[in-house]
Amino acid sequence: MKALSPLLPWLGVMKERRGRLLLGGVLMLATLASALGLLSLSGWFITATAVAAMTGAYLDVFAPGGGIRFFAVSRTVSRYLERLYNHDTVLRLLADLRSRVFRGLVVLDARTLSRVRASQWLNRLTADIDTLDNLYLRLLAPPLVALIGIVGFALFAMAFLPSAGIAILALLLPLWLAVTLGCAWWGWRASHRRVERQERLRVRTIEQIEGLAELTAYGALETHRRHWRREERILLDDQRRLGRRTAAGNALMTLGVQSTTLLVLMLGLLAFQQGAVSGPVMVMLALGTLAVSEGLGNLPMAFVQFGATQRSAERLNEQTALRPALVGEPLTTGGAAPALAYLEVDVRHGERRVFVDLTLTLAAGERVAIVGTSGSGKSTLAQLAVRAFDPDAGSVTFEGHDIATIDPDSLRARIGYLTQRSELFHDTLAANLRMGAPEASDERLWWALEQVELRAWAETLPQGLETWIGEQGRQLSGGQARRVALARVMLRDSPLVILDEPLSGLDSGTAERLKATLDDWLGERTALLLGHDEAALPRCDRYWRLVPGAEGTRLEGDVSHP
Amino acid sequence: MSGARRPSNPSRAWLDRQTATVRIWYRGAVGCGLAAGVATLIQMGALAWVVDRVVSDRATLAQVAGGLALIVAAIVVRALAQWGQESCGQECGLRVRRQVRARLLARLHELGPVRLASRHSAGLASQLVDQVEALEGYYSRFLPQMVLAAAIPLIYLVVVFWLNWLAAIWLLIAAPLIPLFMALIGMGAQRLNEAQFQAVTRLSGHFLDRVRGIATLQLFGLGERSIAEVGEVAHDYRRRSLKTLRVAFLSSAVLEFFAAVSVAVVAIYIGFGLLGYIDYGPAEQLDLFSGLFILLLAPEFFQPLRTLSQHYHDRASALGAAEGLVELLDAGAETVQPAHETPDSSLETGEIRLADVELSHAGRERILGPLSLTVTPGEVVALVGPSGSGKSSLLQLIAGFVAPDRGRVMVRRDPAIAWLDQRPLIIQGTLAENLRLVALDADDAALTRALEQAGLGDWLAAAPAGLETPLGERGVGLSGGEGQRLALARIFLSPAPLVLLDEPTAALDPETERRVIAGLARLAASGRTLVMATHHPAVMAMAHTVYAIENGQLKRTSRAEVAPRVEMEP
Repeated sequence: MKALSPLLPWLGVMKERRGRLLLGGVLMLATLASALGLLSLSGWFITATAVAAMTGAYLDVFAPGGGIRFFAVSRTVSRYLERLYNHDTVLRLLADLRSRVFRGLVVLDARTLSRVRASQWLNRLTADIDTLDNLYLRLLAPPLVALIGIVGFALFAMAFLPSAGIAILALLLPLWLAVTLGCAWWGWRASHRRVERQERLRVRTIEQIEGLAELTAYGALETHRRHWRREERILLDDQRRLGRRTAAGNALMTLGVQSTTLLVLMLGLLAFQQGAVSGPVMVMLALGTLAVSEGLGNLPMAFVQFGATQRSAERLNEQTALRPALVGEPLTTGGAAPALAYLEVDVRHGERRVFVDLTLTLAAGERVAIVGTSGSGKSTLAQLAVRAFDPDAGSVTFEGHDIATIDPDSLRARIGYLTQRSELFHDTLAANLRMGAPEASDERLWWALEQVELRAWAETLPQGLETWIGEQGRQLSGGQARRVALARVMLRDSPLVILDEPLSGLDSGTAERLKATLDDWLGERTALLLGHDEAALPRCDRYWRLVPGAEGTRLEGDVSHP
Repeated sequence: MSGARRPSNPSRAWLDRQTATVRIWYRGAVGCGLAAGVATLIQMGALAWVVDRVVSDRATLAQVAGGLALIVAAIVVRALAQWGQESCGQECGLRVRRQVRARLLARLHELGPVRLASRHSAGLASQLVDQVEALEGYYSRFLPQMVLAAAIPLIYLVVVFWLNWLAAIWLLIAAPLIPLFMALIGMGAQRLNEAQFQAVTRLSGHFLDRVRGIATLQLFGLGERSIAEVGEVAHDYRRRSLKTLRVAFLSSAVLEFFAAVSVAVVAIYIGFGLLGYIDYGPAEQLDLFSGLFILLLAPEFFQPLRTLSQHYHDRASALGAAEGLVELLDAGAETVQPAHETPDSSLETGEIRLADVELSHAGRERILGPLSLTVTPGEVVALVGPSGSGKSSLLQLIAGFVAPDRGRVMVRRDPAIAWLDQRPLIIQGTLAENLRLVALDADDAALTRALEQAGLGDWLAAAPAGLETPLGERGVGLSGGEGQRLALARIFLSPAPLVLLDEPTAALDPETERRVIAGLARLAASGRTLVMATHHPAVMAMAHTVYAIENGQLKRTSRAEVAPRVEMEP
């Protein structure tokens, strides 16, 4: 049972849709019952007609004939409805699960997020969710429907021939256990670790792609291939093992169902000879037993893979339950340019000390540049200001308030921050721009595009502002994406502005003109500008250089204005 | 597979070609499937016979013992054959996957490090791992079932026809022509799968896009709104895909309907025939045996087709995956260059001669040349110049990763060239495994010595597990500088006489930089030939010769001339 606990939160998500799940299950059951009714009633009917023909007795052929036609239609209809309805349910669950996972991720702080992004986890995320969304269709409803089918038919059989009913229960219930719990247990270890092994093969593959230059030069490719092949063999061995077990489970099921049918038939034959049941009933019970097996169909396959489902749930749990969101009081100050100060700040990234006792102050309306090589901690300064995470020691103050006490959303609402990477979304140009200012009019968007010298380009687009920009803004060049991101920050019109390498990826002409535009636009705002050197930034009041050292990064000031 | 179908689409042609090496297993799967089908036939026949004997002739159990034994035997054969079919099919899938992966890996090697640099390594890895996985069901389930879905109903039809031709016609009316039926399922299932495949892909794309951008969403205070949006988009896709599903499910409902109706029609026909209500055709010859036998075969007649329609998604996902894989296998096929030139026997080990070499990027302007360069064994050469000037390209030429468009590159590359990348390779495994990549037989003492020479002696001494310390994603993370020194240790360990270094001190903090430079100095003193692309004055200082690359030309220059241009850290 402990093995199931990672699934509990996800079962909880499903519980909210229990009405649908129940109805879906009922439809599944109706399909099974129709198949059962069709086959057993047909068997009864044929035998009864044969007996009637021999004895010359009267047989009402219309009621059973009607019954057969009814089951034929009801099987088709219920199967159609069941598939449609349950697919709808699965898609609804998918929406629920995605929202839930997203909700868990959206509260993470920047450092945890960057860890998540760096790992391969993101690539597996949707696959993990997909595994869970069809949990109901593979692992929950089918075994229950099969169980109800078995017990229901056994009770039905008991009414005619108690020994047949008992035989069905005695053989099919253990069989049901074997193809569900038995298969789950049997495939548990291999399927649980298969996920991991597939991951290892992926890592080896990435090693080989990224290290191809080194491996080729050294003539070490064959050595690495050996590592790679070993991982592949282990993975394939596990898959073979699982496949064989599934096949064995299916064979066992055939054996079990057919033997039960035979046993029921033999019990029927004996009872028939003793006159306890009629010939038609005997045939009906045997054929009904056969039809019950339809419900067991896909169980071995689904349950042999149970471990993998549980592993997916475990992995999602690891990420979504990481840590509580940063909290704080909402800011109540107005929209005037604020002062910003870093006071004796310590920041560690793992073992590495990024800042030790760093102090930096920006007076209200002051424009400060921080220059330094990449990796010196410029972006960390920016992230501290927006409270992407809290420093390990010391404090950052906004208008004199320690930002560790301010609600992150209300703080960020007062800051326009252009991150180092231009993060654009797969959406329209307008939607990407309006992220900065949801209420902005189209005129305002055009104004912003004009500021970053994209207006002429945007006007040539057939769909204008409604043009979809590709996944991560892929249909834009690096320089265009940069300027869209910049326009988005300008639309935000915030009293504090942080620009991280604002002009990177732009040709020198555009960069020079944008410097002047930014100089005007920044005006009286408080601004923190980050760049690899002074020339890459608009004019500032003060310049500081970040110099990395063994004892964390130092600030060296005032680099003279170029 | 049968050779009768002529796949028009390249992905499908490619998929079909992969079966060449797994024919035995494929035939095994089909053979076992047929055996299971025949065993089912025998089982049903024996069952009908037993019931007929007991009900019609009042036979005792002992008198039908032979029939019962036949049923038992048939059941056992059926279960075994079913197992055999699945196992053989699975082996097909496993073998094809292994073979495709090997081919892809060989392909990546052919493309080489330079061309691969423009591709996303995680994306390639996902093709090699996940996309190849998606081929499984096509070979293990779908292909064998294609044959079975045609053959088994035919066998049953022949038997039913022999028992009662009119009943066979009832079955045929329900399934007018099996190929037509299969096409019907095919169209429906394909549309279903395509729609779903597309919806799921686009949905995943949207979701991952938002997850990637979470930091930005947080900055703009859009977290809450995005949660709702993620749900809304998923629901929107649900509504749209349901429209398609409604139609797509109809085609399989039609199959189900025919299957159910034909069972019903056959049952009613047999019943009325037995009662003597039907006085045309062969109805009068019907008895309980043939009637029951036909009834039992009726659902089995449709079962293979129903199974096939269940496996149709295997086909769709394999086709989807094949598209990407074929693209990768064919990518730039015409531009793959021949292997290295034959080494000039007059060349000494560690010597480099470049004669009138030119290099340009595909369809773009010239990067290098025409230039000539001779490096004598044991010489230490520094290449300087702004980023993008072609330093790395020159190193790649010497290493043989790219071939020149003109001129000759003469280098002896055996047994190996030592290469230090800007991003050193750290494989998942122990420290020792990481080092032994370049020298398989090196003993622990040699490894330790190499680490000390590279300035990792202290690090090794501090590591409790020593050489067995696990590295890589799951192991101890190395900092950038430590990774660089590990790569340096590989150079010390490697017997390669020629060492190429691409910006060995880029992005290091001053302390690490000092240690790496000390290691490089030891390397320079070891008598090997070194060619280094660098910005660093201290690295230039240890070179015998410094070349500046300007406009694709090499300019021999003195260190003094270059050094002041490089910005000194305060």
